[in-house]
Amino acid sequence: MNELLQTLILGLLLGGVYALAASGLTLIFGVMRVINIAHGAFLILGAFVTYWLWDGFGVDPLLAIVLTTPIVFALGWVTYWVVVSPVRTAPMASTVLLTFGLALVLEGAMGEIWGNNSTAIRPAYGDESFTLGELFLPKAQVYGGLIAVLVLVLLWVVLTKTWLGRAIRAAATNPSSAELVGIKVAAVAALVFALGIAAAGAGGAITGVLYPFVPGSHYQWIARLLAIVVLGGLGSLNGAVLAALMFGLAETLTSAYVSPAWATAVPYAIVFAVLLIRPQGLLGTRLREDAVAA
Amino acid sequence: MTSTGTVEGTSQRFWTRIQPLWLGRALALVAAVLLIVYPLVDDDLYYQNMIILSLVFAIGASGLSIISGFTGYISLGQGAFIGLGGYTIGVLATRLPDSNIWLWVPISGLVSALVALLLGFVSLRSRGPSFVIITVAFLFLVQVIAVNWVSLTNGTAGMTLPLPTWDREIANWPFYYVLIGLLALQLLMTWWIRRTKLGMGLIAIREDETKAATIGISLPTQKIIAFMASALVVGMAGAVYGYYLTFIDPRGMFSILLSVQLVLSMLIGGKATLWGPVLGAFFIEWLNETANNDWGGGNTRLFLFGGLLVAVVIFLPKGILPAIESAIQWSRTRGKAGLVGARIGTGGSLASITDRVQLVDRSEIPDRAILEVKNLRKHFGGVKAVDGASFLVPEGSITGLIGPNGSGKTTIFNLIDDTIRADAGEIWLDGQRLDGLPSWERAHRGLGRTFQITRLFREMTVLENVVAVQRTFSLGQLGRVAVSGAEARSAEELLEYVGMRAFRDQKAHALSYGQQKMVELAQILMLDPKVILLDEPAGGINPVLIERMGEMIRELNSYGKTFLLVEHNMPFVLGLCDPIHVLARGRNMASGTPDQIQRDPAVIDAYLGDDFVLDEKVQP
Repeated sequence: MNELLQTLILGLLLGGVYALAASGLTLIFGVMRVINIAHGAFLILGAFVTYWLWDGFGVDPLLAIVLTTPIVFALGWVTYWVVVSPVRTAPMASTVLLTFGLALVLEGAMGEIWGNNSTAIRPAYGDESFTLGELFLPKAQVYGGLIAVLVLVLLWVVLTKTWLGRAIRAAATNPSSAELVGIKVAAVAALVFALGIAAAGAGGAITGVLYPFVPGSHYQWIARLLAIVVLGGLGSLNGAVLAALMFGLAETLTSAYVSPAWATAVPYAIVFAVLLIRPQGLLGTRLREDAVAA
Repeated sequence: MTSTGTVEGTSQRFWTRIQPLWLGRALALVAAVLLIVYPLVDDDLYYQNMIILSLVFAIGASGLSIISGFTGYISLGQGAFIGLGGYTIGVLATRLPDSNIWLWVPISGLVSALVALLLGFVSLRSRGPSFVIITVAFLFLVQVIAVNWVSLTNGTAGMTLPLPTWDREIANWPFYYVLIGLLALQLLMTWWIRRTKLGMGLIAIREDETKAATIGISLPTQKIIAFMASALVVGMAGAVYGYYLTFIDPRGMFSILLSVQLVLSMLIGGKATLWGPVLGAFFIEWLNETANNDWGGGNTRLFLFGGLLVAVVIFLPKGILPAIESAIQWSRTRGKAGLVGARIGTGGSLASITDRVQLVDRSEIPDRAILEVKNLRKHFGGVKAVDGASFLVPEGSITGLIGPNGSGKTTIFNLIDDTIRADAGEIWLDGQRLDGLPSWERAHRGLGRTFQITRLFREMTVLENVVAVQRTFSLGQLGRVAVSGAEARSAEELLEYVGMRAFRDQKAHALSYGQQKMVELAQILMLDPKVILLDEPAGGINPVLIERMGEMIRELNSYGKTFLLVEHNMPFVLGLCDPIHVLARGRNMASGTPDQIQRDPAVIDAYLGDDFVLDEKVQP
């Protein structure tokens, strides 16, 4: 019973981290209709930047998020203007290829800078646990999960309570009308892209403390994030959070009670099944297809 | 236009067009000859190896072009079919060591094609970005299975194939020439598909899948054939590749980079072209080898592929060959006025139309309903867009469907032709029940429909747009030549009729909205349906064209054609239609002759308004 409870709590904490990482992906899709395949690579980049701050300057890796996130935000902003903006209105399949190319470049760059060996961030409290009755909860996981939720709440406040959030939602719903009422859609898109990337970076900073990583880990991450976002419904933030929690639970439960070898197949199988059975996901809406001008 | 003018124009065009074409063919021939004699004159294994790999990737990219180039389904899982081919031959050759290993090459092709069949079924449910995601998931899933199904694949440890048994003297020749043969087979198949109805249907699917279904193109059959064709020869090439490598493991055979290399080859050479993917594959493989050997490999290779992918999408979205083609086109048309600015022709008479459109004597038309809609319903969440609409369309009539904006008119059209599936209700056409059937089968049973915002296949010419319709379905028909002489003649007659014959070789996207409307009408006439559904035929076009549209509808109707039209232009509707059905809130509130409708107080209240003056009615 205790073991199950512990697994559930850890699953939910992990789900919170997943939710943070996936929120950026779904946000970018919702506003720009771009599926950012490089999202996993930016997440790993967040982890490497955290490693660099921790290893080089002795900054606490979880507090380093305050530095990592703006750095990755700036990188995302630049990336948008250099690479993504020329093809913002191109067919979605092209942007998928483009961001895939971006992911490969980032992977190469990270390999060049930090090497392709397994990297781990191990703060002093890395081996310590909180003890609650008979439950053992590793400190890093608890801190990480709570920080993820905090950042996610901040993001939610920005999106729902501020002028910027309204501008973002307007640009997502109808870009040309948003432009007409004075919203610079391109600038908003740049901000959204950078915000989304920053969320991935923040997620990477946390997961970097939880698991070791290599530049090539981004394939695994993008598969997992896509599975989450697709399950929740592309473009739906609430859906992504819900799906991320389910995913975190499912993964911890599978590796605790079933074989971890086949657990790697879970995200792919979920993508497959969801897109076949309910293409709009849990909370997504189907786009109206009949009235679109060719 | 006089006949001599046409002949001169044609011959001039003939010569300017033929030169680059022949130049291209001569280059392809020289390249093929060089490729064939190369191993005989030079035994440099480095280059032989590079060519062998290039051949494998050329076959892979060329196969990919069938689904991605023609059909428009971008796949990042194409490499899986090379891997599947390799694993099939690996498993069979190690289990049956005494057999002739070459026998397993065609079997590997079949296995790949069967797995592609599954992916084809997936494509029936998802398209666009979700499909791309699915293909990535597919590739990783296959890889995970290859890793975990140790009893079959030996897992991550990989498999070692039997070494070649032939004389060391001839070394790589068998691999080399078998692959050349397979590439020839692949190219022949691609070429054949492009020139048949199958290929034209695939391109129509790429351009606008929903529209393609409404003009009778059977989506599942065509897509599934395309998917299998895209993997068949590729699987065989994968088998030869595996045999050549003699060692296969999941990491190498199902690497995402292999798929990226194939996509990149196709894009850089030019998708949907015959030679583009081949050109691209040789170029990319040369770059790949050079990066590995001279530029440091590993991360450099990632930079190179990633950077190239980004650059190609931004700067060369069409690829090398199409870019060359449009440059030639540009230099040839420089300084000439565009044809698309020309006026629409005055139009021909129906009498000139030979046999494509069946014309009947009006007096022979029985007094009955040809289309009947019963209690049709469609709810979008809480919105009852169509809420129990029922009406009849008498055979030989021009029936009007009017109502306020949002009253469900276009949705009803979408339900009738299955662009959207109805929640409930019955649709009967000429005694046959349509609801439950997919769009293309409804088209085959005699339903034709135009769209409010015209939907032509943008990259096809006007003539191809008209010929693309498929009135019936049979597998044999898919193999026929895309545009037969008879079809081209019928299409030209129909284009003449709508006044668009002069535009026959223009790409549809170059036309104005009004011109597109006319072409869409010709396209539907080519289908020769029993009932023609027109969604706002007079919307957004100039008064002269509105008048011409009215004339054509009236003339077609005088030869027995039945119309159902949605329209907001009241004088147009009232002058043309009888009976008229009025919709409000998703159901019909009144039906009757134009006079009855205009006097109906409920209709005036809901739609026409108190100030609607009968006397303003003008004959369209």
